[in-house]
Amino acid sequence: MRSLPLLFALALVPLGCGAKHEPQTHQVEIRGMQFVPAELTVSKGDTVVWTNKDVMPHTVTSEATSSVKFDSKSIDAKQQWSYTATTAGELAYVCTFHPTMHGKLVVR
Amino acid sequence: MTESGAGSAAPAPEPEPAAAALNDAQIAAIVVAANQVDIDNGKLALEKSKNPEVKKFAERMVTDHTAVNKSAVDLVTKLKVTPEETDASKSLTSGGADKRAELEKLDGDAFDRAYVDNEVAYHEAVIGVLKTQLIPSASNQELKDALVGVQPAFDAHLQHAKAIQASLAGGGSDAHAQHK
Repeated sequence: MRSLPLLFALALVPLGCGAKHEPQTHQVEIRGMQFVPAELTVSKGDTVVWTNKDVMPHTVTSEATSSVKFDSKSIDAKQQWSYTATTAGELAYVCTFHPTMHGKLVVR
Repeated sequence: MTESGAGSAAPAPEPEPAAAALNDAQIAAIVVAANQVDIDNGKLALEKSKNPEVKKFAERMVTDHTAVNKSAVDLVTKLKVTPEETDASKSLTSGGADKRAELEKLDGDAFDRAYVDNEVAYHEAVIGVLKTQLIPSASNQELKDALVGVQPAFDAHLQHAKAIQASLAGGGSDAHAQHK
């Protein structure tokens, strides 16, 4: 395939490049009983901030399948909760108050 | 007033007038009444139920419906709208009281099933009223947006109630009921 040489070249970039990833902050809104975006990919060292735009409290709590445990406890309306991703993996989470609400962080 | 005209047929009967659209003050009273019913139902369940899943759900109903009510009252206060009772809001309140009187007589599993069955039916009815009457009738855009914004919460409550209903019907305390 024509893209193979290009893919091969790109795969070498992280090894040769040496550029440090500057930690970034990402936003997730909790509104309409959803996490928006429901799935977010971030880099190790990045911070994610959840802002509760609903009128009732929610939580951001790791599911059993998550590679890392975390629990915001109750986040009131208009409040925020931050999490800094220190470990790579797939972090599925849920609102423990409203079991229909699911989200996922993919930490690279 | 009679009119005579050759060949004129008897006038068709007036169609049943559509239910008068609610004004914002009336919508506000319905929202407050609807939330209060579920807050009171939840408090009753917290007193009577011994089932941890039912109690967790009931606590959620109390917290969430209290939050929605506070937000609704804050909004109508800001809009200088005073809630106005109607037959609809009064009927919600009295219907809620009647249902609670029935639930008071039950205990144990019978209470749990009746409470949750009622929560399913009640949320279905409230969501219906929200979609077909309250949201379409709302004049003020902020009020309309707030009503639209709160609908997912009631949908989520309904899903949660149905999941518990299914697990109670299954006869076990299935804490891991399937959720969509």
